[in-house]
Amino acid sequence: MRHVFSVRIGPVGFRVGSAWRAPIAQLETLYADYPKPDVPDFSVRLFPARPWRRVIRPSVTIGGDFMLPDAAPLPLEQGLLAAEMGMNLQMALGQRRYLLLHASVVERDGRALLMTGVSGAGKSTLAALLAARGWRLMGDEFALLDPATGLVHAFPRLVSLKNAAIEVVTRALPEARFGPLLAGTPKGDVRHLVPDAAAVAAMDVPVPPALLLFPGYGFAAEERAVPPSEVFVRLTQASTNFVALGERGFDALARLVKTVPARAIDYPDTDSAVAQVEKLWAAL
Amino acid sequence: MPDPLYRMARAEALRIVHLDSFIAVFHRDSGLTHLLAAPAPEIMATLGEAGLSRAALAARLAAEFELADLDDAALAERLDELVACGLVAAA
Amino acid sequence: MSEKGEHEGNRGPATTRRRALMLGATGAVAVVSIRPALAQTAASVAHCEIPVPDPGRAGSYIAADGSLVPPGTAGAFPPVGKPLKGEDVKVALSGGQLPGTTADQSRAYTNYIRRLQSGTSGFTCFASLQMPRG
Repeated sequence: MRHVFSVRIGPVGFRVGSAWRAPIAQLETLYADYPKPDVPDFSVRLFPARPWRRVIRPSVTIGGDFMLPDAAPLPLEQGLLAAEMGMNLQMALGQRRYLLLHASVVERDGRALLMTGVSGAGKSTLAALLAARGWRLMGDEFALLDPATGLVHAFPRLVSLKNAAIEVVTRALPEARFGPLLAGTPKGDVRHLVPDAAAVAAMDVPVPPALLLFPGYGFAAEERAVPPSEVFVRLTQASTNFVALGERGFDALARLVKTVPARAIDYPDTDSAVAQVEKLWAAL
Repeated sequence: MPDPLYRMARAEALRIVHLDSFIAVFHRDSGLTHLLAAPAPEIMATLGEAGLSRAALAARLAAEFELADLDDAALAERLDELVACGLVAAA
Repeated sequence: MSEKGEHEGNRGPATTRRRALMLGATGAVAVVSIRPALAQTAASVAHCEIPVPDPGRAGSYIAADGSLVPPGTAGAFPPVGKPLKGEDVKVALSGGQLPGTTADQSRAYTNYIRRLQSGTSGFTCFASLQMPRG
């Protein structure tokens, strides 16, 4: 591959090889303050499905150590998105050291808040807004749970904001760095938020989880406690490697659901959500 | 098969964690995780590793618990569920 | 098989009251098995579903088959972890439908737990990972 970029994010190192310079240049700019890995754990490849696809209506096929069949390529203008999706894919299919939960994570006072749920629930948006209020951003896509210690490790990739969330967050974080606006992706408009210096500086500091939230956007404000069995099943649905980790994964998840309180919160707007979160955290 | 004996999976293969009204079971032989609600755990414990016929199981359950609904069809279904997931073997 | 002298409601020194157990109606479930994550087949990738928005989950009630229904729906149970409010009880009673027995509620809850697995398993939606063709 002609163009190469390497980066370490939390405990995971990536090497991204690309047939085109542009996505690599964007990655270099946005991850400029991040360390380099000693030895990459995963490789991502951005390549043309057919040789002429490198120059004619150039389109990026996402490959790497792990690939999914039937994945449609993205136009070159969305190469940054392709790289990010490629890194997600390597983690989802290849991560074996940590139990992965599809959740955003923020930290306050040495403890982590995990927010999990389906696409559109608001995990990334809420994490970004809490970061604006002084919480440390630990990640918006994956929570990394160490089965040996029960601690959550930071994995602060670029925060992926979609559609209406882009404006909400750019308004709330006027000093923050953002990637380019990628319009018309299959997920709508996408813009990436760069985690701030504090998040990057602290990315090797794991913390114990203290609260687990299941946010639901677009409903009247409502809240209930979620019992351990329901949390357990929901989290197996939000984990790509629970089964692959076998007994270690089972023990890690059982320990999490038995020791960490969980709440489902419905919220009509982000101000309401942030208020609910702060209130629940204070009540811990 | 006529009147099979049902037995629980061997105890060393089971890792059990109690979660509210469910118990979570990791079955080492299959690598699979199951959540069990009453009466599944009670049936497994009563069967044990020695093995019981369905009739003998019904009798033991009736002796040990206050059974409001001793329905043979329901018990057969509960056993089928446990056999299907591998936690109980029928021989 | 009760011993002589064991009466309902009486607890003699040598006898213990047996715990209640319900076998459940036919059609009920007592086992929920965790299905492996991300079945890596083209078919499962193509069937990625974005869930249809359901009623606000936190406040919803649970019907006997485990589906979520608006709060106060006759015959449905409040979610575990949400204490029954005074108005809920009144509504339930005035509708002629008494709050369910523990066994019915637990059966509904088991169905609810099982339904949490429907749709994609492993990753809450494949769309987060990649763009399926067509």
